[in-house]
Amino acid sequence: MDLQDYFSLVFSDYTLRTITLGTAILGAVTGMLGSFAVLRKQSLLGDAISHAALPGIAIAFLITGAKESNILLLGALISGLIGTFWIRGIITKTHLKSDTALGLILSVFFGFGMLLLTFIQKQPNANQAGLDKYLFGQAATLVESDVWLMTIVTSICLVVMLLFWKEFKLLLFDADYTKTLGFNTKFIDILITSFIVLAIVLGLQTVGVVLMSAMLLAPAAAARQWTNKLSVMVFLAALFGAFSGVFGTAISASQNNLSTGPVIVLVAGVFVIISFIFSPSRGLLFKQIRVIKNRRDLHLHKTLSFMYRIAETHENISHPHAIKILNNFHGYTRGTLQKLVDKNYVTIDGTMWSLTEEGFKTAANLYNQLTKQNE
Amino acid sequence: MSSAQIEIQLIASLVAIACAIPGTFLVLRKMAMISDAISHSILPGIVLGFFITQDLNSPLLIFLAALTGIVTVVLVEQIQKTGLVKEDTAIGLVFPALFSIGVILIAKNANDVHLDVDAVLLGELAFAPFDRMLLFGVDAGPKSLWIIGTILIITLILLFMFFKELKLSTFDSGLAASLGFSPVVVHYGLMTVSSVTTVGAFDAVGAILVVALMVAPAAAAYLLTSDLKKMLLLAILFGIFSAISGYWVAHWLDASIAGSITSMLGVLFLVVYLFAPNKGLIAVIYREKQQRIEVSLLTFLLHLKNHVELEERHVNHLNEHINWQNLRSKIVLDLALKNNMIEIDNNIVSLTEKGDLFTSQAIDYIITNEDTQIEDMKADFFLFRG
Repeated sequence: MDLQDYFSLVFSDYTLRTITLGTAILGAVTGMLGSFAVLRKQSLLGDAISHAALPGIAIAFLITGAKESNILLLGALISGLIGTFWIRGIITKTHLKSDTALGLILSVFFGFGMLLLTFIQKQPNANQAGLDKYLFGQAATLVESDVWLMTIVTSICLVVMLLFWKEFKLLLFDADYTKTLGFNTKFIDILITSFIVLAIVLGLQTVGVVLMSAMLLAPAAAARQWTNKLSVMVFLAALFGAFSGVFGTAISASQNNLSTGPVIVLVAGVFVIISFIFSPSRGLLFKQIRVIKNRRDLHLHKTLSFMYRIAETHENISHPHAIKILNNFHGYTRGTLQKLVDKNYVTIDGTMWSLTEEGFKTAANLYNQLTKQNE
Repeated sequence: MSSAQIEIQLIASLVAIACAIPGTFLVLRKMAMISDAISHSILPGIVLGFFITQDLNSPLLIFLAALTGIVTVVLVEQIQKTGLVKEDTAIGLVFPALFSIGVILIAKNANDVHLDVDAVLLGELAFAPFDRMLLFGVDAGPKSLWIIGTILIITLILLFMFFKELKLSTFDSGLAASLGFSPVVVHYGLMTVSSVTTVGAFDAVGAILVVALMVAPAAAAYLLTSDLKKMLLLAILFGIFSAISGYWVAHWLDASIAGSITSMLGVLFLVVYLFAPNKGLIAVIYREKQQRIEVSLLTFLLHLKNHVELEERHVNHLNEHINWQNLRSKIVLDLALKNNMIEIDNNIVSLTEKGDLFTSQAIDYIITNEDTQIEDMKADFFLFRG
């Protein structure tokens, strides 16, 4: 199946439609909530939570003995929350730093989850196969009820986000101020964190424990480059996330042996790279262009001011001088001289140059402006 | 115990030691998550190395994989340098991308390659003794024992040679630079050792669980001591303890050895986290409570000092004036009495000489903003703490 088949099938084929919808919704909700994680400098929290969810899945299975995905996800949610609050406990109550707390909880919970999974595999219970799909995710196992669950959770997220928009925004950018205004910062904080955990847990089935954090980060990091406004960023992140989901599913469906999770992550990565390079205000490309332009302007000014210094000593400011006295040290190149002529600051006559009236005035004001700005 | 069991425990212990040493420095340098990033992103290196060598234990594979680890660190730093995103976001972007490439490489070649992601991520220590090293046709022990042993010896040599430099650049990189030790060299040296250790350990305990062996013993040790040498030793001891106890738990449950070693590390950290003297959770909560009561006591004494009027110093009035609940007032009053700082006469509270002296000194320190001094002073004045 190639990409074209995919797009013609996506509306008619049940499985493809379900998966595409599922990954799109997932991408949107993680992108949305990921914006908050990125701005709160909690980017790696997602990684820790997704790993910490693993033992919950195993324990939920051990208790119920059923592979009902909602129950497993509930287990994941609880153990993800325990992990999150333990991380907070370590950071606030001891002198260990957040990176240590994250790395510790992540690896310990994951290891414990693996212990339980291998323990379950040895049990005489034919039902246990397939639990390890939560490690790397299998979008193909998504069914309609999963998509409904995602839709419901996404709507709840949206409603809560709109209700608490002001509080979220305030806490994000000035936590101390929020506190002085009398908001319950602890509650808002826990609310955001809980929703991040919820979004991560939702994605486990599709993208898996290991790669879930990228789903949270990549769309948000890409969206951040295009705007300085929170609402636009959240919207863009949701959009990028949804597109990563759709494109990732399309690419992985069109090839054999290509798991969906990693492809979605790579597509999201491409979004990030494009945003890093091509974003108009922060992008590397335009930044570099601006740097070069500034440097050229500086050279031009340097040459002009040198000419001004010479012209100053003559009564007639347009007294011609040899081009030879200009050198590279003064930022002179054939190009800059030509530019000066284009701007009508200088006239050239053979091998001689002379400042025009306009050029003289500009050059005189060049430093006036600078000193004015410095004041 | 069969010889295979001894070999497994030996390998696990060596891995634990080899991880604990760089891990301690990573924790101290607040770079613990870098180990997580490295452990994920060596996957494409391992896969490529495996395509070339077809042998999971070949030195070339270890070299390639370790190189990927260093590439990760460099990439993270480069992205961070652009200023477009924060460091943690940079880490979070780089390693899933590299890991995805690794997973896709494996998936695309799944049919003709004997390598699966589970093996790389989780390792299987139980099989390690079956892969023997043959020297001149003589059985010389498991291959992984040789690999991790070599890495450990190199790490130890580097540690002893550059202990001073490591210590200095960890705690004061500015001073290190001004004394002529390049923090950059130390940084990349540490990153290289971490990468090589991660790769060397991955087929024994699995790439992700290496993170646990690096971070958990060091974190637990850091809660118990603030002396670098003691911390290193403790981290190593914790690592060995969890490696051996973890093996027996796995033996008993018939489950993954790596998983149970990590779980033991988790239990160990939990115990230390709760019960560590001074820095543990219980000690911290107890101290916070103590300080809260002692601050209340000081407020109370100040109030007494500021008022000579009898009605201001009546026991009942105090209760409503400072607006404390009954229990709290009672605790504070008892503490003050026990320490001979106040005396109560006909329900009128007044400061003793000692209480007066204590209050004036405390005020002195608060005004001159030397709050830390109060703690030392408390030791001189208090017979009983809050």
